[in-house]
Amino acid sequence: MAGLAVSTTINGDSVEYLCQPDETLLDVLRDRLGLTGAKEGCGTGDCGACSIILDGRLVCSCLVLGAEAEGRRVETIEGMADGDVLHPLQQKFIEHAALQCGICTPGFLIAAKDLLARNPDPTEEEIRFGLAGNLCRCTGYDKIVRAVQDAASVMRAA
Amino acid sequence: MYSLNYHRASSVADAVKLQKKGEDAKFVSGGMTLIPAMKSRLAAPSDLVDLAHIAEMKGIKVSGKTVTIGGGTTHAEVATDAKLKAVCPALSYLASHIGDPHVRHKGTIGGSIANNDPAADYPAAMLALGATIITNKREIAADKFFTGLFETALKDGEIVTGVSFTAPAQAAYEKFRNPASRYAIVGVFVAKGKDGVRVAVTGAGDEGVFRAKGMEAALTKSFVPASLDGLAIPASGLMSDMHASAEYRSSLITVMAKRAVAKASA
Amino acid sequence: MTHHAPNLRAEKISGGVATDRRHDSAHKHVTGTAVYIDDMPEPAGLLHGCLGLCTVAHAKILSMDLDAVRMAPGVRLVLTGRDMPASNDISPTGRRDEPVLADGLVQFHGQPIFAVIAETREQARRACRLAKVEYEELPFITDVGETDGRNGKMVTPPLKLERGDASSAIASAPRRISGQMRCGGQDHFYLEGQIALAVPGEDQDVTVYSSTQHPSEVQHMVAHVLGVPSHAVTVEIRRMGGGFGGKETQGNQFAAIAAVAAKKLHRAVKIRPDRDDDMTATGKRHDFLIDYEVGFDDEGRILGADFHYAARCGFSSDLSGPVTDRALFHCDNAYFYPAVKATSAPLYTNTVSNTAFRGFGGPQGMVGAERIIDEVAFAVGRDPLEIRKLNFYGVGERDVTPYHQTVEDNVLERIVAELEASSDYERRRREIAAFNANSPIVKRGLALTPVKFGISFTATFYNQAGALVHVYTDGSVHLNHGGTEMGQGLYVKVAQVVAEEFQIDIEQVKITATTTGKVPNTSATAASSGTDLNGMAAQNAARQIKDRLIDFAAEKHGVPKEQVVFLPNRVRIGNQEIPFADLVKQAYMARVQLSAAGFYKTPKIHWDRDKGQGHPFYYFAYGASCSEVSIDTLTGEYVVERTDILHETGKSLNRAIDLGQIEGGFIQGMGWLTTEELVWDEKGRLRTHAPSTYKIPLASDRPKIFNVALADWSENVEPTVHKSKAVGEPPFMLAMSVLHALSDAVASVADHRICPRLDAPATPERVLMAVERVRREAGA
Repeated sequence: MAGLAVSTTINGDSVEYLCQPDETLLDVLRDRLGLTGAKEGCGTGDCGACSIILDGRLVCSCLVLGAEAEGRRVETIEGMADGDVLHPLQQKFIEHAALQCGICTPGFLIAAKDLLARNPDPTEEEIRFGLAGNLCRCTGYDKIVRAVQDAASVMRAA
Repeated sequence: MYSLNYHRASSVADAVKLQKKGEDAKFVSGGMTLIPAMKSRLAAPSDLVDLAHIAEMKGIKVSGKTVTIGGGTTHAEVATDAKLKAVCPALSYLASHIGDPHVRHKGTIGGSIANNDPAADYPAAMLALGATIITNKREIAADKFFTGLFETALKDGEIVTGVSFTAPAQAAYEKFRNPASRYAIVGVFVAKGKDGVRVAVTGAGDEGVFRAKGMEAALTKSFVPASLDGLAIPASGLMSDMHASAEYRSSLITVMAKRAVAKASA
Repeated sequence: MTHHAPNLRAEKISGGVATDRRHDSAHKHVTGTAVYIDDMPEPAGLLHGCLGLCTVAHAKILSMDLDAVRMAPGVRLVLTGRDMPASNDISPTGRRDEPVLADGLVQFHGQPIFAVIAETREQARRACRLAKVEYEELPFITDVGETDGRNGKMVTPPLKLERGDASSAIASAPRRISGQMRCGGQDHFYLEGQIALAVPGEDQDVTVYSSTQHPSEVQHMVAHVLGVPSHAVTVEIRRMGGGFGGKETQGNQFAAIAAVAAKKLHRAVKIRPDRDDDMTATGKRHDFLIDYEVGFDDEGRILGADFHYAARCGFSSDLSGPVTDRALFHCDNAYFYPAVKATSAPLYTNTVSNTAFRGFGGPQGMVGAERIIDEVAFAVGRDPLEIRKLNFYGVGERDVTPYHQTVEDNVLERIVAELEASSDYERRRREIAAFNANSPIVKRGLALTPVKFGISFTATFYNQAGALVHVYTDGSVHLNHGGTEMGQGLYVKVAQVVAEEFQIDIEQVKITATTTGKVPNTSATAASSGTDLNGMAAQNAARQIKDRLIDFAAEKHGVPKEQVVFLPNRVRIGNQEIPFADLVKQAYMARVQLSAAGFYKTPKIHWDRDKGQGHPFYYFAYGASCSEVSIDTLTGEYVVERTDILHETGKSLNRAIDLGQIEGGFIQGMGWLTTEELVWDEKGRLRTHAPSTYKIPLASDRPKIFNVALADWSENVEPTVHKSKAVGEPPFMLAMSVLHALSDAVASVADHRICPRLDAPATPERVLMAVERVRREAGA
């Protein structure tokens, strides 16, 4: 079955792929492009494990069609570190032990990056509500919130 | 074999043309409802016509008290637009409480209105604001637009290209949300304009969004929360489901309406 | 990763015990490179499976027409229960009451009746919808309230615990109260759903990558279904995306089907159900209906207690026997009952078979205990905290449990006293009373609740573990054990133990995926026992090798054994120090065995279920929490304003990991008691099978102020691994303070004269109903 040819930009690189019209961007990333950092937690846009940034906006990649990415900019967890240098959010998640099983972690990092891009100095409450589109079943969120607060202050100082 | 064609429309006219060509073509805007429905096979269109890239359907215009919002405008854009917030903060507030950040970045006002989910937020605002729903074919008063559960006055090939309304002097939206989906279990929008007070309730009605005329009359006399004392929407016409009983909804409507009045007056 | 160069002059190794070593996969987690089963590169020719679920709650299957399914595009195989090569049975306790695929009879709405294997996941899902099944429907029950809670059909034999004569103690007590409490179930909502990937090998062999807490059981089940020896089946799991008990037995079905299909088709097969299928077709926490009667004196001292715990077990036994047993083991929580009787009823229902979930019945047992404390407190008009303290187990007296084990390590009094002080309980109690007096709509509530949780599998034979340690000639170490990693940090803790034992940096210790091929006959990573058991087994393996190295060094260098001392990354032999790696190389050249299998079994424990007496728990873990909430008395909505926790984990192996377990356990427990509600409809269908209808806590639900501390002074009185204590389950029950704070806030609308009897989950609607009932009763 012929697919749609899509040209897009992923983490700054031009990428072309073929996909089916009903295939989600999440499936394209994971199954066709080998970018397995985004996870399918629910498949219905309710858990945030598949979070990516599309044209500068945080979205669930399970509710975006692969075809929709044509001509747009996609950012995933795989592009968050600068080579071997971790993004401050990644660094702070490690330092604060803001992860356990780790499967929600890429989604949280992407959501936190989007949050800080819009609001570099969020209050604790703004962080808790700003990350309310991402589910974590292990940590109880406290260390995640602290890691984001800490990363925000590092990023503001930079 | 199931097959689907995807088309990205460049203009409203293009979208209409593309939709006509498909056997069972559907418009998709943010895709927040349609894509999950397709996954669970509740919808199986032959063609998808993507409206997300139509420039003429985007943006918010405020001229005096007149507000026009393009159908392709996302909830996040409605929530954060400074001009809108200045004339109708109630609508900005409503948009900022739809779903979660992911949904607000992709879902659109036109998509929400056309879908008319009985627990969606925008329909309550449209009714209470006495808004006009603008399509590619005509203009429809909100009172005539929302006709039932997931039912609207839209005809085949018709697209919600925008909405317009006159910003009321006072308005507020209060929502008791479903903690899981964040849809409204009860949402009440009150608006006090030059023609009196309008109160619209979403999330609760058996047949979708509705106006609470009794409450409107009481509030037109005196726009204070106490005017609603003893006024309740009977549970008989309300939804009872796993999220809330009809009685609970009935009680919540009055509480939310009073809070909205207090907020609008603050 | 560059090669780690050990510091040969270090005063301390990196990553030894009692350090806040980060999770071993932390770097991979934040870069998205940690590989979960669904992220593994797919084997060539991989096929995908999907389960066909039945659409009635209880019925005979009259006919099943799967022709259209077989003809659907991409379909390679359709399996029914009759296609299981040797046995259509995966009952974990051998009661033969749980088929792989239901055959002839379906017993709950959503029970798998066939499986489709196709070229793509989407093709398998679509084909599943084409089945035509005719049923003859049978009467069904989904709710234990509809059954005979005492004598209804049970899935496994009930338990009775008895000490003293509870009936006469209650009858002769100055005051008596009886009542009933409901507490709901809970979906695990592991973010990684169930998944199995089976790869066929030669002969009868098959390797199954299964997201499971119990690889040995998966191995045995797959072998049993295939009719091959266990040696033909290898089960491997590097990491799970959450487990919480939901992957103790529930992975068996997916693994068995994937393995059967893989062997039939000679191709690799992966099954990963959608979230709604996962929630529909896999077991959850048991919900309970608890009947209680308590006799007490005018001071509020309990004289006798009688409990009956009726549980919704679903259609099969699964782990319901031990789960309901553990509920009874915790009907005391932290309180001494001079006379007590407790009975269980593991009831059959036409619902999915309920299973293990963090706490394993313990939480449900404890909420019963806390309810009677509330009842007594309201009856005598005192603060529930006073009644709690009045009834705590004593030290050296009033210290025997309902199962006749003496509590020997009680630290409740100190924990509660310290928390009472650090949370400023008394002052806030007064402030809240003042606040409530002036706030007609928003009411605040406060509660401080204790936790005492028994550690050990109550099936004594499970309390054993194995480990495998290899030391390579460059001084690096390969570590394997029977425990599984689901995020709880077990792997890093056990690696810390091994690093400590050899006195080498943890970077020298390679943590490897759990596999039945390396360590056999393991127990589930469950019952909070992972570190206790596997840490000791790994320590034992390391010690064997270390002892050989000591013997070798002493002989080669002609020094007494006491003069061979392991220092950080080096060994002192007499007057010289040589790098650890050099000693290892010398030992190898001298043909010393540098590999060992370690073993551990928990001492001291025994249990006679028929008598209801014994010493089932090696020790207890203690903690307490204090929560403050505010409720909106017009809508029932609430917010947790503040929570303070003091919990003990003995001499913590890793404080960062332990604090994470405590915070996460508390929030998960809070979800269970507040927003997580499972709803079955009149057709027996589970309606809450997606995150859009089932609400687990979000970041925005975390208490506004959240102070969590470890009791630093604590140390296990038993010789556990470095005197630490288990931490997986006990913190879950700290969340009871939230339920009781809500109850306290509700009670304030009638001046604390009426016990709100708030059931769980305390959803806003339930809180509002309680407010209205308390008001009504106070007015009457």
